[in-house]
Amino acid sequence: MRDTFSSCNPIVNFIYFTCVLVITMCVKHPVILGISFASAMIYSIYLNGMKAIKFNIFFLLPLMLIAAIINPAFNHEGMTILTYIRDNPITYESIYYGIAAAVMIGSVILWFSCYNAIMTSDKFIYLFGKMIPALSLVISMALRFIPRYKIQIKRITNAQRGIGRDISAGNLIGRIKSGVSILSIMITWALENGVDTADAMRARGYGLKGRTSYSNFRFDVRDWTLTVVLMVLFIMVVIAIRAHFISIVYFPAFVMNDFDGIVFILYAAYAALCLLPLLLDIREDIVWRSLRLKI
Amino acid sequence: MPNYYLISLLLIVLAIAAFAMAFERRKPQARDLVIVAVLVAIAVASRAAFFMVPQVKPMIAIIIIAGVSLGAQSGFLVGALAGFLSNFIFGQGPWTPWQMFALGIIGFLAGILFRRSPLKTKRLPVCIFGGFSTLVLYGLIVDTSSAMMFTPRLSKEVLLTTYLAGLPFNAIHAVSTMIFLLILAKPMIEKLSRVKKKYGLVES
Repeated sequence: MRDTFSSCNPIVNFIYFTCVLVITMCVKHPVILGISFASAMIYSIYLNGMKAIKFNIFFLLPLMLIAAIINPAFNHEGMTILTYIRDNPITYESIYYGIAAAVMIGSVILWFSCYNAIMTSDKFIYLFGKMIPALSLVISMALRFIPRYKIQIKRITNAQRGIGRDISAGNLIGRIKSGVSILSIMITWALENGVDTADAMRARGYGLKGRTSYSNFRFDVRDWTLTVVLMVLFIMVVIAIRAHFISIVYFPAFVMNDFDGIVFILYAAYAALCLLPLLLDIREDIVWRSLRLKI
Repeated sequence: MPNYYLISLLLIVLAIAAFAMAFERRKPQARDLVIVAVLVAIAVASRAAFFMVPQVKPMIAIIIIAGVSLGAQSGFLVGALAGFLSNFIFGQGPWTPWQMFALGIIGFLAGILFRRSPLKTKRLPVCIFGGFSTLVLYGLIVDTSSAMMFTPRLSKEVLLTTYLAGLPFNAIHAVSTMIFLLILAKPMIEKLSRVKKKYGLVES
């Protein structure tokens, strides 16, 4: 699936994930968490397809169950006592709280699965390259080295086989020995090769003044619009929470804000914030279709 | 009740940022950068190579070796970056800062304890440090973070239960780190000091 949001400037991607994650982690309000969870679920399935569905059923669901059980099992606050297990009261409130905690951890993990699909390492380096130039160079070099080492290990293995030290033949101890020697050759090569790289970098003027870095991304009108929309929605939700339009108390008794027109608009604002990438994709689809119809 | 999770997350991010800024401030040479990158790449590749065997990972062993031969600051960087980069393969998540911090601190302590000490060339102390730090530092830091994720209302019981549930995994991890250190520590530290001598690297 082609995702329009991931073609936006990384700054927009990063702002979006920061906003939704901060709200998801800080607010234990059932409606807010529900919106978070549902949008993260839809978006992760949209981005990752079948893989996401499998992950959600076999990994996420058990994890959330554990979280939902741990809370009432260890937390005995709350006034509405349901039953006693070994003299420990199990309360309604702590069960609600457990469910909220489970949905929260589930949403955070789902958001991160979307984050992993969108925020690739090159985008991260673009974002923080100015702030930490040396470290982001280290990061991009290390990322380049990993596939390079894989190829080199193959070469070393073949060369070793050529001189009779085949890793796939012989007894276990012999195999381990040849494996260790491949690793040792590999590490020596990596270090020497690294020094060569460093010399090449110095020769080409790394660290001199006035050098700029290449960047693949630009910040266009669409990115500006999205940033403004994201910030407005985020600030709306934050103000709503600060001013107690959206509020929740679990202990000693479960008290939630009333539901009225304003609150509905605020929930809708948060939903729009969470669903922004999907809305963008739908818009793109409609534009694309109407353009095709015109042909 | 204070939000322990966010407060500790903030502290950890600040700690990592402090190390990052100290490194940037030094205006490191190309050679320093490359050596750190090489070690990070080896550490990440070693975690990826053992992806089929849960908990048996040579990553901490390599981070400790990096700390021992390059010093505390580089040790921290190799640890934190290896944690960060390997999660590009294994998935970033709320656990990333905690792993980065735990791995970084292990590299840092390895540098402080062994860099200038005569114990450096002895295998046993490094191995014991590896096992201990994997079990206690890495295990407890990461388990604490999952306890805080599971239930924001932290209590002694929850923490104890989490540690007990994590103990078998951490024990396997610790033993495997010790074995990897037993095999790798001596030859790798020798290789690194040879390269350092040959090319005159990071003697800060």
